[in-house]
Amino acid sequence: MLSRPIIGMGAVASTGRGVGTLFENLCRGVTGHAELRGFDRTRFRAQHAYEVDDRPVAGEDVPARATALLVDAIAQAAADAGLGEDLSGIPVLIGTGLRELRSLELWWREGTDLDDTGLHFGTALRERFNADVTHTFSNACSASLYALALGSDLLAEEGDHAPDTVIVAGVDVLTESMYGLLERVHPTPPDRVRPFDRDRTGVLMGDGAAAVVLRRETGGGRTHALLRSVAVNCDAFHVTAPSPEGIAKAMRTAYDMAGVKPKDIDLVMLHGTGTLLNDEAEATAMADALGDAASGPLMTAIKSMTGHTSGASGLMGLVMGVTALAEGRVPPTVGLERPVEEAAEFRFVTGGAASASMNVAQLNAFGFGGINAVAIVEAAP
Amino acid sequence: MSVVISGVSVLIPGADSAKALAAGPEPGAGPVEPAALVGRKGLRYKDRATQLGYCLTSAALADAGLLGEDGTVSGGDVGVVVSSNYGNLDTVVRALDTLREGTVSATSPMDLPNASSNVIASSAAIRYGLRGPNLMVCNGATSGLDAVNWATTMITAGRVDRVLVVGVEPDNDVVRRLLGGRHAVDGGAAVVLEDAGAARARGVRVRAVLGRYVRAAGVGTVLERLAASGAPAPAWWHLPDTAPEVIGADLLPGVERTALPEHSGRASGALGVLQCATAVGLFDEYGEGPVFAVCGTDADDASAGLVLLEPPAPEAL
Repeated sequence: MLSRPIIGMGAVASTGRGVGTLFENLCRGVTGHAELRGFDRTRFRAQHAYEVDDRPVAGEDVPARATALLVDAIAQAAADAGLGEDLSGIPVLIGTGLRELRSLELWWREGTDLDDTGLHFGTALRERFNADVTHTFSNACSASLYALALGSDLLAEEGDHAPDTVIVAGVDVLTESMYGLLERVHPTPPDRVRPFDRDRTGVLMGDGAAAVVLRRETGGGRTHALLRSVAVNCDAFHVTAPSPEGIAKAMRTAYDMAGVKPKDIDLVMLHGTGTLLNDEAEATAMADALGDAASGPLMTAIKSMTGHTSGASGLMGLVMGVTALAEGRVPPTVGLERPVEEAAEFRFVTGGAASASMNVAQLNAFGFGGINAVAIVEAAP
Repeated sequence: MSVVISGVSVLIPGADSAKALAAGPEPGAGPVEPAALVGRKGLRYKDRATQLGYCLTSAALADAGLLGEDGTVSGGDVGVVVSSNYGNLDTVVRALDTLREGTVSATSPMDLPNASSNVIASSAAIRYGLRGPNLMVCNGATSGLDAVNWATTMITAGRVDRVLVVGVEPDNDVVRRLLGGRHAVDGGAAVVLEDAGAARARGVRVRAVLGRYVRAAGVGTVLERLAASGAPAPAWWHLPDTAPEVIGADLLPGVERTALPEHSGRASGALGVLQCATAVGLFDEYGEGPVFAVCGTDADDASAGLVLLEPPAPEAL
């Protein structure tokens, strides 16, 4: 049975930088919700997002912010794992929804520099870490958990070329086009992200990056948690609307691969985007996959504080979920007051952080096109 | 355990088959016309890369004998891996221009799925019923060979028995501006990768066998690692996208070199898959390999190399 030690972690989001700081802030219910920092607000009906406040001059956007967040998260995770700064030969897998498309937008409209080697992250990671086995996957909002699945497949390979260590990361920042088009499909402009609440108005984007270092074998050094499985599939149903059947299938496959039963799940880090369709589809699938155990695990949706960090969000959930297992605390879902009917049985963490002794966590991430990814992690022995 | 190619499709101006591609695309040919290949139905609101992806998907699945009479795949999950770097750049800048010159209300909600770079992969899955893992690789110059390797990795890991791999790049004004005036290939190729045992079980003809893949800094390093892995000496070397004289004569001396011609334009994320299709065309024509395919030059963040072996005699598989 698959059991890969997670030996390094890093994260940055609107709510904080560094895994410990971010986790403490989320447990206190701190959100990154703020007025749009880098776009001309007069173009939009929605006015808010969850951005990392890192622009050199307030209100003026700059290229390569996604790259900067990614480099930060990877450097944190590599240092945590004791890998040093030279990552040549180590596979680095990056899941992203929007790669450097914000740099494309600024190049197109403001004339900042870009060529076709600047759309993916390999060029910058080669410069910064001497990394040469880099892979950018643009897999919408399940990208970083899809990357995690591929990372675990690499560690299962046999032979002299098989790696001992793999880095998996996720990153995204707002793009003007995606922010606008997402707003366009909401009947009323979303004001904040309230996952699973009956009165939610929709999704708003957030900036963020997360990274983990995985090892083939246990032994030596600290282990944060064990990766037990990552299941991936595709609904093949609709370009934006999710399918509860496809999602539930991914969950069951993840349980089977990890050798766990629904009653073994102690914590679920929900995808929970606050989108009208998605939350109900996720709740329906979750209830279906858990069956009699639907009231068992604690559940939370951190997008209520980080916003929707798109391709980064799955791994963000994993890094926070692993920390929750280790700390015995779960951050709340801020703004969740009256859950949707489909989620009536769930034990949501609301108000403040919850304390619990937990061993197994489930991480959900679903993306446009019906691409689903579900991971299972177990607390370190 | 080995992974084989059991189906192939090619669509670029001047070449519509692996054989034509291996012989060299004709110059001066007109653009690929998706509506003429897969019909008009369902093409509205889809960007050019997605439309080209439909054509390549349909033809490769049919070539592999996987497409049912209703035009979709039934019986067992098929995964999808698509490689494209320029896929949805046109949608992104068009939506941005609309926003900047009006407000958000002027944008089209039909653009929302196309603003996500994985739209080519998910759209192909939806149209043809492909429910396996669905992956979009946007990894620069090496992207096409990387995509082939990720499909191999997922098959080897036991996630799925068959994966469709598509490499496609559209040509448009945004892409040309990004490339400093050069045009993109405006087409691509697809291959169906299959677990050798699964291919044998359904009696499909094997077109090529996949060998070692390497990604590393520099063409020379990639060739050294392929040689060190015990790969047999190549009969052909498919070069990365650059002027042929840039690749030193000291590398693989005496090996026949082949490349996509300058007039085909920048193949970028489609190149690696076009190279695999070329190898199939060479094996079909000459029956002799291996082919070494290399993407990415020393000027890129890295190079990738893949060994493609000629299909074994039927009784040996």
